[in-house]
Amino acid sequence: MPTEFDNLDPRLERMIASLREASGPGPGFDARVMARVRAAGSPPTGWRWLLAPVTLRVRPVAVLATAALVALAVIGTMLMREGATTATVATAPAAPTSVVRFVIAAPGAVRVNLVGGFNDWDAEATPLVASADRGVWTVEVPLPAGRHEYAFVVDGREWRPDPAAPESVDGEYGAPNSVVTVVGSS
Amino acid sequence: MTEITDQEAIRRVLAGEREVFGVLVGRHRDRGFRYAMHLLGNAEDAEDALQESFLRAFRSLRRCRDPERFQSWFFRILVNRCRTSGGRRKVRGERETALVVDPPASTATSPTADDLAWRESIREALGRLPVDQREAFLLRHVEGVGYEEMRALTGTGVSALKMRVKRACDMLREQLRDMDHAD
Repeated sequence: MPTEFDNLDPRLERMIASLREASGPGPGFDARVMARVRAAGSPPTGWRWLLAPVTLRVRPVAVLATAALVALAVIGTMLMREGATTATVATAPAAPTSVVRFVIAAPGAVRVNLVGGFNDWDAEATPLVASADRGVWTVEVPLPAGRHEYAFVVDGREWRPDPAAPESVDGEYGAPNSVVTVVGSS
Repeated sequence: MTEITDQEAIRRVLAGEREVFGVLVGRHRDRGFRYAMHLLGNAEDAEDALQESFLRAFRSLRRCRDPERFQSWFFRILVNRCRTSGGRRKVRGERETALVVDPPASTATSPTADDLAWRESIREALGRLPVDQREAFLLRHVEGVGYEEMRALTGTGVSALKMRVKRACDMLREQLRDMDHAD
């Protein structure tokens, strides 16, 4: 059912009908996929999933640059605010939650949002704030002790894991997520 | 072979019947290719993205928590994959055949020159859209996805998606009108 934003007319409707007619991939596609499936072995199940290696592809320069920025953020935070935490070095004060700082280098981005289980993976709930040159994006989020998966969404389109995160996992939909562990007070 | 549901296929694949994954490939291949083709603008990138998405789905199959909605779960993988595809090329100028429906063997009818011109026009118009508008337009109007599901697929709010669809429709309408006047 068209909405007030759809505004279809006969030309558009004809275009949509034509687009729906598109044919499938070339011959042999299924066979090529299944050949790769066979080569992949069985999908990880049960405890074997824990042993399955996870591969992240990142540019080394991006890792170095982000790691340097995170290190600067950690040092700066330690100097300015005693007790603050970052996404990669998290220690909790006596309070039940810790403020975790998430930092990512995303020069040229118009907006960057943080998503994770703590905000129901809502791409609009937790925007990051850009530095003056809009190269580094930062947000601080209070998180309870425990393990939290998260990622960044750049310009509302690109799902980007944290290249400086010490741990990553395959997300529910196949895209990789980063993991931060907030240590509770003993 | 009796047709099995996606849910049953997933159960059997996870139980060790790896070849049953072929059922899922065959069932969801065409729709996935159609979306990837129109978004990425060329068959080669579309096939690569689709193949990688199926492989990712196979490896992550255990994480498909609602097997009855495998199609939506797989489509999200595909949408993400298409976003990170590194081989996007302009649609204009490409000699692609994705919009040519393969004729069945018994009735070999070739598209007319007008048909081909029309298909080239719409492919060119689609290629001129910003990629986020193209994505939203294809999901909404070609794939028939509702806005709430689009939100889950893309991670973008409903309001933003509606605006992208509107702007895409406005731009396409204008381009199609210009093409009519140019003929």
